Amino acid sequence: MWNFPQILDQARNDLASADDASSLEACRLKYLGKKGLVPAIFDSLSSASPEDKPTIGKGANDLRVLVTALLKEKTKALGALGGGTPCARPVDLTMPGVGPALGHRHVLTQTMTEICDVFERMGFVVVESPEIETEFNNFTGLNIPIDHPSRDAFDTFYLEANDPAAKGRNLLLRSHTSPGQVRVMRDHQPPLAVIIPGRVYRPDAGDASHSFMFHQVEGLLVDKDVKFSDLKGLLSEFCRRFFGPQVKMRFRPHFFPFTEPSAEVDISADIFKGTLRKPWLEILGCGMVNPKVFEAAGYPCLSGRQAAGQYTGLAFGMGVERMAMLKYGIKDIRLFYENDVRFLKQF
Amino acid sequence: MRLSINWLKHYVDPKLSVDELAHRLTMAGLEVEGVHAAGADTVLELEITPNRPDVLSVWGMSREIAAMTGKSLALPRVKAYKPTKDKISIAIEDKKDCGRYIATLMEGAVIAPSPAETVRRLSAVGLRPVNNAVDVTNFVLMESGQPLHAFDYDKIAEGRIIVRRAKTGERIVTIDGIERKLDPSILVIADAHKPLAIAGVMGGTCAQITSATKNILLESACFDAGLVRRASRALGLQSESSYRFERGVDFEGVLLGANRATDLICSLTNARVTRRTDCFKTVAASRRPLVVGVGDIEGLLGTRIAPAKIKMFLTSLGFTLRPSGKNIFRVTPPSWRGDIKTVADIVEEVARMAGYDRLSEGLPVIKAVNIRVDPRPRAVKEAVARALVAHGYLETVTYSLMGQNDLEKTGLAGTPVLALKNYLSQEYSILRPSLLPSMLAVAAMNFGHGQKSMRFFEMGKRYFEGAERWTLAILMAGKRDRDWRDDREYDVEVFDLGLEQVLRQAGITGVDWGKGTYGGLDPDITAHLKLNGHAIGALGRVLGSVLKNWDIGIPDVYFGEIDLEALFILPKPEVKYSPVSVFPAMRRDVSIAVRNDVPYARIRDLCLQRDGGILTGMHLIEQYTGEKIQSGYRGLVFSLTYQSNDRTLREEEVNAVHQNILDALVHDLGATLR
Repeated sequence: MWNFPQILDQARNDLASADDASSLEACRLKYLGKKGLVPAIFDSLSSASPEDKPTIGKGANDLRVLVTALLKEKTKALGALGGGTPCARPVDLTMPGVGPALGHRHVLTQTMTEICDVFERMGFVVVESPEIETEFNNFTGLNIPIDHPSRDAFDTFYLEANDPAAKGRNLLLRSHTSPGQVRVMRDHQPPLAVIIPGRVYRPDAGDASHSFMFHQVEGLLVDKDVKFSDLKGLLSEFCRRFFGPQVKMRFRPHFFPFTEPSAEVDISADIFKGTLRKPWLEILGCGMVNPKVFEAAGYPCLSGRQAAGQYTGLAFGMGVERMAMLKYGIKDIRLFYENDVRFLKQF
Repeated sequence: MRLSINWLKHYVDPKLSVDELAHRLTMAGLEVEGVHAAGADTVLELEITPNRPDVLSVWGMSREIAAMTGKSLALPRVKAYKPTKDKISIAIEDKKDCGRYIATLMEGAVIAPSPAETVRRLSAVGLRPVNNAVDVTNFVLMESGQPLHAFDYDKIAEGRIIVRRAKTGERIVTIDGIERKLDPSILVIADAHKPLAIAGVMGGTCAQITSATKNILLESACFDAGLVRRASRALGLQSESSYRFERGVDFEGVLLGANRATDLICSLTNARVTRRTDCFKTVAASRRPLVVGVGDIEGLLGTRIAPAKIKMFLTSLGFTLRPSGKNIFRVTPPSWRGDIKTVADIVEEVARMAGYDRLSEGLPVIKAVNIRVDPRPRAVKEAVARALVAHGYLETVTYSLMGQNDLEKTGLAGTPVLALKNYLSQEYSILRPSLLPSMLAVAAMNFGHGQKSMRFFEMGKRYFEGAERWTLAILMAGKRDRDWRDDREYDVEVFDLGLEQVLRQAGITGVDWGKGTYGGLDPDITAHLKLNGHAIGALGRVLGSVLKNWDIGIPDVYFGEIDLEALFILPKPEVKYSPVSVFPAMRRDVSIAVRNDVPYARIRDLCLQRDGGILTGMHLIEQYTGEKIQSGYRGLVFSLTYQSNDRTLREEEVNAVHQNILDALVHDLGATLR
């Protein structure tokens, strides 16, 4: 018969005096190992009398539970002291990890997403519009007449392919994202709040600030009683969110055939810490949608007196490259399309 | 446009420093691009928007500045000359081309250099002084904005002025000494025999004023803006005149300019007016007034502007206002403001004078928008990009335009493309039908900078007749990592696993690989990515010859292209929870040798077809080729996992299904068990 109280005491002592990994392992073997005490006690069950069996069974079990618990506790305590299993090789957690480094989104995609996000959070919907366009959508529907100097600002690449809907006219690569406005208004009725991002093309000889391909983000809000004050507030809020709360802005009158009144927005250069020579930097064009654009879209609107309940709208457009160049201090637009790894990894 | 401050001060004194004046002009929409010193004078460089031809003159600017500052405007009194009974012969072939032509004949002129003051003013704004007659035309052009031309009357054959289209093959030597070929799209001023000037653009040498000129014919006219613009563009010739005609000149200004110039020429050259003819068909339609309410202005601006101020702003800009009810005006724009057509245009004038910066600001109410935008394209693109970035890929943005040469270098010659009509250079004359050349250009540039390992992706468009398609392109080359722990080179299997994982991230499963080809990729190592049996992309190793064409010195470059549009139209995958089995799983490893031409996909499909309802997983462990395997064969080791959701599987049950699979592998695929 086993003297269980004594055995349990002994086990407690053994474990209490174990103070490193190897003596703990010795304890484990002494009690729980294949040739240890707990298996030996269980083995003795077969030869024990039936009335002793419950006591022996319970005793063996108690011993196993006790030793297991103490081992666990002790191992944890030793681990906290810095003991534990010795390592085969030195561990240096500052060594670089294995596996590919994370990649990067292109700075233009990031900037475009950031711009769209600001407006989406205000309730605008992002829509896509094709790059291959018709003359109507790119010009006529936006009140830009043929043979007018206002077209100069929108020099355009034409395709060899003809516009199937307009005899004798060629398709073109959109020179701005504004034809997206025409498409949205053709397909939907107000209220509208849309953002149209994408690539645009102009036959400009390339230099540090010009590229024949670049990106724009266009915005259009049409509803009853949209006001110029809304335009100012909306774009001021955008600038604060995009460039930071300290940014200073000014709105100055400008001319776009598709808006009236029209404005250009400048931001003060001082937020860029003296890296730029001009005090004010033009960042976007905007205005109240010209009634002629509504007319072309077939919206009910009078070009005479504004009556209550009539649709008015605001529109704006900005160059993504320009925003990124200002924000990140990039001096040459060509860097965006070169895709030098050393450039891409910086963003 | 250049504006001399000294000249300006003859008509209005803004009583502002030059910097302050420049700022005020910029804030009124007349952007000052630069300020230059010109002797004792200061010149403002202005960027005038195309809707404002009326301010392309000292008088126009003076009027704006007077309105802006409230200072008084003192324009000179101009003597009025009346048409004479004795007419000059003027024939306008098409009144649409020329709305008004005033010819004034001045006889007995003495041609000499201009007085110093005239020379100073012209030089300040960048005009070269010529003589006292020509200089007056330029002076009045700058002053009033009306382009003028002076002919030597004695060189006009039969003294007849004919405004007509040029004849095919007609030529003229313009005063810049260049001979120009004309055609019927160009309007000319001709005499009985020959063209004397390109209307609105530039005069010819044949009738120009010389020191010998005695009699001067002064032209003040109004030509069709589009016609002048096309001629100027076609001839590649822009002048101060064409610049203003393109933007539109004031019908009334034609007479004002004629009178002012007549006056000055007479006084400078001692000539006297002998004949004057004013030829016009259309009397300028008296303009219909626009009805503008104070409330309309507030309604569009969101700022209330007092009626008295509105009246003051508009009146000082030359508008006529008549009250039409309480706080409502009938507003007639002045003749020189052809740009004012709607109420919104008048609102802008008021806003401009009030100052945009002084108008109130508030956030708009944005209503829920009833445009259902399909969320899939963006979701797919975002998920794919996220996964690629996590796999270490760098996103690129490359030009959508390329040259035929790029296609040829890439082995894609003959691909149908959309071509540009007015390209800048052959290099960028077509819209890309593939992203492979774009990506190779990026790889070549970076290889040139010493990069040997690269992973790039781009989501851009490919262009076809009637379609532009979002496309994903991936390129990878070199080693997976740069240290000893994983210095394996990329290979095509890594690539295809990567792609499959990327697509799975976007919720796209069920894609398959099949044999296929793609221009520029090695046909032996190229696969088509298939979805429901349709190829939606290709992936493979770029041909060595193509790499050589692009000067890429990395032996193995892998490229893949997927038509994202095909993925956009897939329904959003439905994710349903499947309970995690609480019963133990049994794993059996299988080692077989199969012929090389048996694709893994067949082995996988065969196992899955015979799953017995309990095969829940298949995992490839190893592929082995070497001495121990018969040539033409490869060894594959994979594990099969059996598990049930409702019971602990019995050994015999698993054995039966497993054996069935093994038999099929041997029987159907000719595999040998190892």
